[in-house]
Parts: sequence; structure tokens; C-alpha cells
Amino acid sequence: MKNIKYLLLSALALGFFACENDELDALRDNNRDDEIVLPELTSGGLDFSNYIAVGPSFSAGVSDGTVFLASQNNSWPNIISKEFAKVGGGEFKQPTMDDNYGGLSLGGTRISGPRLVFGGAGPVPLESIVGPVTVATDILNPPTGPFNNYGVPGASSFHFVAPGYGNITNLSAGLANPYAVRLTGSTPNASIIELAVAQNPSFFTLSLFGGNDVLGYSTGGAAVGTITPLATFEGALDIALAALTANGAEGVVSGTPHVTDLPYFTTVPYNAVPLDAATAALVNGAYAPYNGGLQAALAALQGTGLFSAEEVAARTISFAEGQNAVVIEDESLTDLGAINPAFAALPKIRQATANDLLVLPSASFIGTLADPNNPTSVNGVGVPLADKWVVTETELAQIITATDAMNASVEAAAQNYGIAYINLQPILAQASSTGIMFDDYILDSSLVFGGIVGLDGIHLTARGYALMANSFLEAIDGHYGSNFIASGNRAKAGDYPTNYSPLLQ
Amino acid sequence: MLFCVVSFSQTTVKGKITDNTGLPLPGANIVILGTSSGTVSDFDGNYALTVDQDPPFSIRVSYTGFEDQTIDVTSNNQTVDVTLKEGNALDEVVISASRTPERIFESPVTVERFGLKAIKNTASSDFYGGLENLKGVDINTNSLTFKSINTRGFATFANTRFMQLVDGMDNSAPALNFPLGNLLGMTETDVQNVELLPGASSALYGANAFNGILFMQSKNPFDHPGISGYVKRGITSQEAAGDNDYTDIGIRLAHKFSDKFAVKVNFAYLKGTDWYATNYDDKDMVGGTRESNINYNGVNVYGDEVTTNLKAVKENPAFLAQLAASGISSSILALVPNVDVSRTGYLESDLTDYNAESVKADWGLYFRPWANDFEIQYVGKVGTGSTIYQGAQRYRIDGFSLQQHKLEVKNDNFFVRGYITSDKAGDTYVMDVLGPNLLNAWKDHGTWFGEYVGAYASATLGGATGAEAHAAARATAEMGRPQEGSAAFNRLLDNVTSDTNFLTGAGFKDNSKIYHGDANYNFGDLVSFAEIQVGSSYRTYRLNSFGTIYADAEGPISYSELGLYTQLQRSFELNESLELKLTGSIRYDQSQLEEFDGFVSPRISAGLTVNENHNIRASFQTGFRNPDTQALYIGLQTQAGTLIGGAKDIGSLYNRDNMVSQFAQDNLGQTAVINQTGDAAYTNSFSLNSINNFIDSQNPVDIQVGNSNFVKPEQVSSFELGYRGKLNGFIVDASAYYNLYNDFLANERVVAPLYGNVDPDGNGSVDLTDAQTQLALAALQNGDVVGYQTYTNSEETVNSYGAAIGVSTKVFDGFDLSANYTWSRLDYDVAGNPDFQTNFNTPEHKVKLAFGKTDLFKNLGFNVAWRWSDNYFWEASFGNGEIPAFNVLDAQVNFRVPTLKSTIKVGATNLLADEYFTAFGTGLIGAQYYVSLTINNL
Repeated sequence: MKNIKYLLLSALALGFFACENDELDALRDNNRDDEIVLPELTSGGLDFSNYIAVGPSFSAGVSDGTVFLASQNNSWPNIISKEFAKVGGGEFKQPTMDDNYGGLSLGGTRISGPRLVFGGAGPVPLESIVGPVTVATDILNPPTGPFNNYGVPGASSFHFVAPGYGNITNLSAGLANPYAVRLTGSTPNASIIELAVAQNPSFFTLSLFGGNDVLGYSTGGAAVGTITPLATFEGALDIALAALTANGAEGVVSGTPHVTDLPYFTTVPYNAVPLDAATAALVNGAYAPYNGGLQAALAALQGTGLFSAEEVAARTISFAEGQNAVVIEDESLTDLGAINPAFAALPKIRQATANDLLVLPSASFIGTLADPNNPTSVNGVGVPLADKWVVTETELAQIITATDAMNASVEAAAQNYGIAYINLQPILAQASSTGIMFDDYILDSSLVFGGIVGLDGIHLTARGYALMANSFLEAIDGHYGSNFIASGNRAKAGDYPTNYSPLLQ
Repeated sequence: MLFCVVSFSQTTVKGKITDNTGLPLPGANIVILGTSSGTVSDFDGNYALTVDQDPPFSIRVSYTGFEDQTIDVTSNNQTVDVTLKEGNALDEVVISASRTPERIFESPVTVERFGLKAIKNTASSDFYGGLENLKGVDINTNSLTFKSINTRGFATFANTRFMQLVDGMDNSAPALNFPLGNLLGMTETDVQNVELLPGASSALYGANAFNGILFMQSKNPFDHPGISGYVKRGITSQEAAGDNDYTDIGIRLAHKFSDKFAVKVNFAYLKGTDWYATNYDDKDMVGGTRESNINYNGVNVYGDEVTTNLKAVKENPAFLAQLAASGISSSILALVPNVDVSRTGYLESDLTDYNAESVKADWGLYFRPWANDFEIQYVGKVGTGSTIYQGAQRYRIDGFSLQQHKLEVKNDNFFVRGYITSDKAGDTYVMDVLGPNLLNAWKDHGTWFGEYVGAYASATLGGATGAEAHAAARATAEMGRPQEGSAAFNRLLDNVTSDTNFLTGAGFKDNSKIYHGDANYNFGDLVSFAEIQVGSSYRTYRLNSFGTIYADAEGPISYSELGLYTQLQRSFELNESLELKLTGSIRYDQSQLEEFDGFVSPRISAGLTVNENHNIRASFQTGFRNPDTQALYIGLQTQAGTLIGGAKDIGSLYNRDNMVSQFAQDNLGQTAVINQTGDAAYTNSFSLNSINNFIDSQNPVDIQVGNSNFVKPEQVSSFELGYRGKLNGFIVDASAYYNLYNDFLANERVVAPLYGNVDPDGNGSVDLTDAQTQLALAALQNGDVVGYQTYTNSEETVNSYGAAIGVSTKVFDGFDLSANYTWSRLDYDVAGNPDFQTNFNTPEHKVKLAFGKTDLFKNLGFNVAWRWSDNYFWEASFGNGEIPAFNVLDAQVNFRVPTLKSTIKVGATNLLADEYFTAFGTGLIGAQYYVSLTINNL
């Protein structure tokens, strides 16, 4: 009898417990944020066990004018290596600098300076803020390889396949690169590609291979040097890709962005000279003989087809009250002195237009006096800006054409070798026009405040490199079927700064 | 007794009342049959009764839980010792179920009784808490001093579907529309009887007796004269609050001057420390903290509701002008992300001292002019207290007071009563409103976010990552914040809490009143074929919050409700072992508000008694409730939008001036300020949900008309089956019900444009080609809209069902063992109506066990109660969240000292010290340990 009682009581406690409660589940569902369940990360069959990066400064992680510990840490190859590490990637060893000042020394003698920092209004040298520092990274004391990152700032396409480019003995002759010197170790004559291939990469990136082939020419206002001939570039590219893929490694190659999308070329306006009416009249007076000479030459050469009225209009210099275009030298203009020595006094100058790009360093040159004792010798007004300060419309067209041609070659080569290709040009173009959304930030390519390009106006900020890293991951996903982006295994904008503190040592 | 009426003929009867084991029964009722004269046995079970009546006559001795006995008295000075035979719970008499005394066994509907014995034996810290052990009852613990009863679900702390009558007076606060637990209720030693009717009982008790009603009946000073009282001291122990003392004392003074006049005074005082509410979980991000989520919004953190997208700051003209004035290029703003950032709020514990206090007093004058059952009474009650109430926000109820005055005339067959209830808000304030406004008073939101954005950009330029920049920005914006508890902080706190404009302050001002009249006549003595009752009630509300809560800025809002009811009850002896009792009731209610039609609510029930040991009951009941005062007339502007009542005349009572965007002034010919009346939410609004859908989809077709319907009464139909009886020594009480709710009262969110017309042709859909509609959409685009939360009715039927069974028995020679199980389910398409919250808030399974013995040894008793509640999901306007399953063990040991007429009780609640909570947002409930001394509580 008593047993029955307890049975009854315990049956009570157990009653109904097995029922499903759909309403309760639905309630919970209604109140649960729609959790986005990301898929598992897959590598798409890629072997990331030995990832090698090859390329010029972007690959090396140059920011704010140089390489330093923090910028190396935020180099985009290092960023993607962290994602690779989640699917079998190994350690990613970089030729680390000694400090966060950047710059290089040779036997204690500084051969390149420390990084730029934000000085409150724009980029300034680090030492103007923190005082003199010692550039401790000495190429006589290179880091021990082998490395995973063979990024060499300043190297052009053909340099990567050139033997001896990392041999210190070639340095004085200008045939070697101090950054390359740091990589060669016991094989001073090995080319960069040879060093990379010696690591037997399972996966590689070859990025902005032609970057310096156009950039080196462009940054100097297209005044010295030339754009690497396409054939040379293609030759070097083929050697590099053949070597890197020889053992079956997969990889990704990238094109080069247009220089017109970099603040180095877009920050300084063509018409930055403010004048009052009196000064304008004075300056116009000074240019009156030149303008008169152009008219005389036009009259003299009429009918020869050697000198057009359009050119006269473009070359005629006229200042007015307000903002005025700077006066520049343009070697593409007709050399009137060569036609007729009578016009030898007429230089190849004109006022800049919106289609001419003044390089960033001109910002601190325009408006200074060429002759400190002569107030009319204002650079850009009374004294024309030399070729090195400006990429003229004509030069720019050559640069764009050459860049596009090289990018087309890279894309074709990628197809040829069956590897992934990424075109960085549209990405930077978007940044420089509408701005590009990266997580919660809208980045653009303006100097200092755009968030994507660092203080030197060319190289990226850490956040910019993070965006670039994601672009590479996206390209890899697209080509190989991995899912780094879709699975959320990518760089987050907020984790990467746009600036490096001057106090970083 | 100087005032004793001198009698010519007196008979004295005395004796001792004991139970069948020989233990004295204190507090047994001894009544001369056919009169109202009687007495109560004392602590030793002894009684003496002197009456003006000659023998022979009969006395009836009754004691809860024992069978009544009637004994003939044949001579003066006769000693009548009575041994009562222990009955069972089913023999207890209840009044509420049919408004007439009847045995629980025969009650036509489910009814629970919590009588003197239960009060004495409860292991809970007070009798009100003890109700939790009843089947079908959930107690939602708001605060140490404010527990809210939930029967049959659909209850938040503002349980407007539940009614509480204290000696016939509805003790809900007029401003709030629901009872504040026992905060302003009854002193423990004055409690005679508590009855609880789960389920609809509008047929007898009118609107609001919708999902349940609780009756508390005090001891009449004629029957229970004398001095009694208790002192309870102990500690509350909670991890967050630590161990805190609490004291609860009460005294009851009742004196019977004669058979005609008696008075009673009660006083009780409780002081303790409330359960600290320290749920700092992020409402928006799983696992978020202030450190990890820049837009953190902690549950019990206030002020962090103020959030803005930094994009809005970057585009703010005032901010940009300021930036330009300080010579900073606005291009630095490109570095600032478009993310939502919240201000750093205050912990709830910074905004309240958690003082839990209750002071209540009542007094009554009782007059029986003919020394019979005809009685005239005046009762006054006043209560004030400090507690925490959680509605749409967390309220710090401080010095809230409630006053009631009642005049009642009654005899056994009728009563007429009238009472007035008024409340005063005291220093009450709303913590969720206080937080943002306190922050704004210290540093206005515009400045704070401006500093944030500026500092963010600077930090970024200095090399900070996103997280570092946010941290630096917050640190900069937070600079100068007065330390919580400092003099500067307290000054701000005082300013904001005493300001009753919710846009700048957090104070709450109210002096609302309810006037209520009730009458009931029982024709039982006049008509023999059936017991017939008729009754009526009349109530007038006078809302007077000075515009702080209700739309009563222009003056108090008054409206009335009238109800009439009748009930017929008849028993049929079908044969010797079969008795059928039929009860039918019907009630008619009419609100003064013209938009509500008169409402008829019927109830029919049948009880079939088989062999005197089994009773099967079936009933169909209906209930309805008029929208509560808030649903009708609230007009409360908060940071999160305006709560606007659904009465048809709300437009004439509520209006506010609104600033119009510069764009609309320049391009759409709008004035700088547009006045909008409260009915805009009901007549010219978009559905907020549809706007959100549109924002996601950018498809204008998604935009839908809001235009909530004006509010109307809610109805419930309830079917119930039940069984009570004795089965092999078990006493069983089981029931099952199915409830259907129509016009379920609910909230909707809408946005009303300041200009334009959402739906000019009134066809219920947005016509994107209409010029007026386009203007309304432009208002939406320009932010020239007001967000409202309306009170309206669901078009969907909401159903619920459940069952409960209670079993009690004796085991091991005299130990009481009881167990009950309650099962509750919501039957509603939850998945299909994601925007609609039913607030069911009830666990599917509950199990409660009690084990005890009144006399383990001589004068020593104990009781242990264990409760287990299944997990459930809490929904309420404050927030939604999971309530994990919990189990609670309460225990008490009591020792009676007959010489001192005292009982000493040592007890503990939540003895397992496993802290739990019954609602999302409240403090965790810790343990309570107490020792009490009760004197002379018979």
C-alpha cells in the first residue's frame, strides 16, 4: 500500500515531461537575433604549409616611407599568413628590422631615413617630432634566413630575376638594393626569385610585380629613367612564374594600381598659388615677353604645321587675382629654339592644368623662393617647376598605358600558369573616387585622413594592407574554391591602425 | 470590562478544545448556533463563553482542517470539552467561489485556500510568500517586498489581469492598475483567511477578475479580540548584496467593547535590503560587456540606452561648426567609422539604495447595533513603502503611499460597501529614464558624442587601432563624470529625480483615485428552491498624474464603470449517492466610455457529488476586462518613444509641439513647430515594423499603414473540468482548463508623420502615388515623425490550457505530505506572429512538495517545502529573456510556548542558496534566514 503511494507521487513529478513545447521553442526563436552561421573554413585543397611572398615594397610592408617592425607585422602577406595558419599554414618568417624607426644603415652610416609621422597637419619626418634617433638596422648585420617574405622595396620586375641584386659589393655601383642585401645571406649572388624558389614554396604570392617599373619613373615626375619595356617585364615575369610554379606550387599574382589613384600624385592641386591683383599684374608683366614671343613664333611658323595656335593657347601664361595654376616645364612642348634659333629664348613651359599631377614633395617646394634675394623668383610662379615636380598629362598617359599593358600581361600569365589573378587597380580606383567600405569604415585614398594610404602617399596603412590582404583572400577563394572571406576568416578593419604613433620605438 | 452591557440572564459555558491526539487547538471557533455570538479558544485550547441566553442551546465548534461539531448545552456553567476529528483540506470552507460559504469539496470552480494553519506552518518568510506553494500559482518576485501573483499565465509584474481584494477592497494602486503585492496589504496576525480563485471570475467580480483573484480576509474584532503581534528578524543573503539585516514587526490590537461595538488597529513595519539587480548581460550582443561592445546596453545598466551612430555625429551641423571653430579640418572625420556607440550608463546599484521598506496601518470601527449579524464598519488603511517595480522600466518606488477608506453595512445576507482608494507617488522615479537624463544633465548627449568622435579621430591619427581609439574616445568623453555617490553626483541625482518631465527628469507624480461601490444581496433565506444572489458595483476612476504619466496635463481624467450580476445556485439530490449542484451567474458591465458596448459575461457550472467522497465539476466561465487606465490614457514621452493610450478621446487630451527639420521648412513649406495630437498614432501612422523592413529591403512597397485600432475590452472564455475527492487515504484535487482570449490587449509600435497623410482614402494601404502620402513619406525621410507605442487589441485569438493536480496524505504516522503538479501551455502561433508578445511568462511544469508535522514532539513542529519550476521564456516590455529552471527549498521549525502564548519559528527560504530569478531583469533571489516570535496569534 505504501509503495503505491510513493509510486503515485513520483509519477506526478514525471508526468507530461516528455512533451515537446513548440510555442516555447518558437518564442526563443523569435527573440534570438538571426545568428548568421558562417560556414567552416576550407582551404580549397591548397597547401599553405610553406607560403612565400615575393614582390616589391607593398609585399615588404612599407608604410610611411620605410619598413619597420610594426609595419612588417602589418604587411599584407603577414596578415594573410595568419589566415593560412588556420588551414595548415606554417610560420611566416620575415626579415625583421631592428626597431620601429625604420631606415637603414651601412656600417653605422645612415643610407635611408626613419619613417614619416603625422605632425598635426600632415606628414613630417619622425625626427622632427621625437628628435634624432639612431637607425639601428644595419645591412652589415642582416637577419638570418631563410624567409617567407621576399618583399624588396624599390625592386623592379627585372631586379627580381637579376643575380647579384642582393650582393653588397654591387651596392656602390647602384646594381644592388640594400633591402635585397639583407635577404641573400650566404648566397650573395642569388636572385630574389632563386632565394624564394629555394624555399620550395607550396603556395606563393607575386604581387605588384611591375609596381616599380612604372612607379619609380612616376614618383620622380617622370623626369628621369624610363618605364620598363613591356618585353623586359614579361620576360622577368615568365622567369619568375616558371620558377615559382616549377614544383607545382599554387599562387596568386596581382597587377598594379594606377598612380592616379595614389595621394602622392593627387594631393597637391595644380592651382595652389593664390595671388592678389597687383602681384598677378606684376607676374603677367614678367611673362609678357614669353607670351609675345609665342605669338611671334606662331606668326613666323604659320603654315609650316610645326607650331599650332592650340599650343600657343596652352602655353600662354596668364595670372589673375585668386587661385592660379603653377607654371611647369613640359618637355613634350615644341622646341621652338630647335626650329629657329631666334626663338631659343622661349622655354618649354606652360601653366599646369587639372590633368597634370604634381607630386607630393612639390607641396613644400611650390611658393618657396628660387633665389632668396629675389622676391619674384617664386617657384611655380616666377620660376617654372622643373619636370621632376610634375607628371604631365602626356607622361601620365604613357604611365597608364604601360600599367594597363603590364596588368594585361600579368593576367594572361596567370591564366597561362593556372594560378589566381587579382586586379588591384579597380579597388584603389574606387577608394579614390567614392571611397571603399571596409567593415564600418569608409576608406578613401586621401592623404593622412583617408585611412588607406600612409604618410608617404604611396604605400598603404596597416588598415589599407588589411584591405589588400582580404582582396588577396577573395581572389584565392574565387580561383581555388577556398572560403576565407565567406567563413569570416579575414582581417577586420578595426584591428589595424591607420597611423603609427611617433612614440613607437 | 467597564462598558459591558449588563444582562439579566447569563449562561457561561467553558471547556477545552483538543484534537484527537489530545493536543489543544487554539483559535477554534465556538459559536452559539443561530446567533453571531461566540468566542475563540485560547492558546491552550480553553474557552469560556458567557451569553444572554438560557439553556438549552447548541454550540458549534469549528476549526480549520477539522470536522465541525455541534454540542448541546443544557445547563449553566457546563464544562464542554470537545475533541475535534481531523478533517481534511476539502472540508475547509471557502466563500469566494460562489460569494457564499461552501466546502471546498463542493465548490463549483477551482479554488485554493490558505488558512490560519497554513500561515502558521508556512516556511516562507511571510504568508504572502507562502502562497507560492499553492498549485497553479507562480510568484514573480520583483523585490523583497513586492511579489506578484501569476495564475493561468499572461502576467508581467503589472498583472492587470489579476485582482486582489482585501476585506472586499480592491487594493490595486489607481495609478498602476495592479496590486503591489502585500506592500500595502494586510498585517500577518490580522489575516483570517486567504483564498485564491485561479481563472476567470468576472461573472461575480467584474472586470479585472480575469485570470484570477485573491481574497484576503481579516479577523473581525468581535470574533478575535485581544492583542497579538509578531517580531521577525533575520538576514537576507545574496551574492550581489551580501548579508543584510531585515526586520518585520506587526501588532494587532482588537477590542470588543460590547456585543455592539468593537475596534481594531493594525500596524506593521518591515525594513530590509532588496535583492540587488545585477544582470549586466548585454541586451544586444551575446556575451557583450562595456569593454567588448562599444554599443553595450546592459540589462540593469541605465543610460547606455542612449546610442547614436557616429555617422550622425559626423553630419551634425552643430558639431561641424564647433569643429571648424576650433580649427580642426572636418576631413579627420573620414577616420571615424559609421558605428553605433552607446554612452556609459549607470549600474542600477548606483541609482538606488535598495532600501526595502513597508509601513502599513489600518484601523476599523465595527458596530453591531442589534448585537446580531448586522454590522456597520468603517475601515481605514494606509500603506507606504519603498520597493522596486519592473514595468516597461525599472521603477524605484520610494515613499509610494496608498490610502483606503471603506464604509460597509452588512449582515449574513447582504452587504453594501463603498470605498475610496488614492495613491501618491512620493519620491518614486524611473531608473531607466533617470540614467539617460542624469547623463544628459551631467554632460549633454551632443557634447559627449562630439567629444567622442573628436577623440576617436585624434587617437586614430596617433596610431590607435579601432578598439584602442574607441577606448580613448570613451575615456575622453567620460572626463569630468562625477563619481557615483559623490556630492556632485547626488546633487545631479536629486535634480533629475525630482523633475517630473520625462524628457529631462525621472520623477513620477501621481495622486489618482478610485471610488468604488459594491452591493450584494443573497436571497438564500427568502427563497427556498434555490440560492439567489444579486449584486452590483460601480467604480469611478480619477486619474491625476499632473501630466507625468497620463494625458491629464489639463486636469484629472474621470470615467466610470457599472456592473450588475446575479447568481442562482441549486442542489438536486439525484439519488442517495448522487447530488448535483448547478450554479449559473451572469454579469452585465457598462463602461461610461461610449466606445465600449455593454458586456455580458455568463458563468455556468455543475458539480456532481458521488458517494459523498467524490466531486466532479465542470464549468464554463467568461471574463472580460476593460482596458486598464494606462491602456486608455497613458501619455508618456520617453527617450524610446511615446506611450500613448488607446482611448478614443486621447487626441483631445494629449498633444505635443514637435520641431520640424530645416529641410522641410525650406522645401516643403512646413512651419518650424508642428503640434501633434495623441490620436495621430491611431489615425495617421506607419507601422514601425514595416519601416524597418523597408530600411532593410529599400523596397517602398514594404511600407504599411500603422493606424492601430483604438483599444477595446479583452475577453476570455474558460472551460474547466475538475475532480476532488478521497481515494485510498489520498486527498486529490485536480483540474484542467482551456482558455480562449479574444481581443487580447497588446502593444504596437507606429511612427506618425508630422505632416502629410499616410492613408488619405482610408483603404488601409499606402498609396505611393498619392501626393499627401508622398508628403508623409517625406516626413519619414526628414525624421519629422514621432514614434509611439500604442495600446490596442490583437486580432488573433490567443489560447492557453493547462492542468493541475494536488495530492495530500498522511505518512509515517501523522506526517503531512502533499504534492502538486501544474502544467501550463500557451496555444498560439508564436512563430507566425513574431511582433506580438503574449507575455505568457509561465513555466510548462511546476512541482511542489510539502512535508511536515505540527507536533513532531510536544510543542515542536516543522515544515519543509520544495518547489521546482521548469524553465520558461519571459517576455515583458522591459526585456525578454530565458528563465532557467530552478528549485527552491524552504524550511521552518517552530516551537510553541503555551505559557507565553507564543510561537517561536526559525526558518529559512531558499535553503539551498542557489540564487534564481523568476523574471528577466530583476535581482537574483537569495536566501532569507529568520527567527520570529508570534504572540497570541490564534
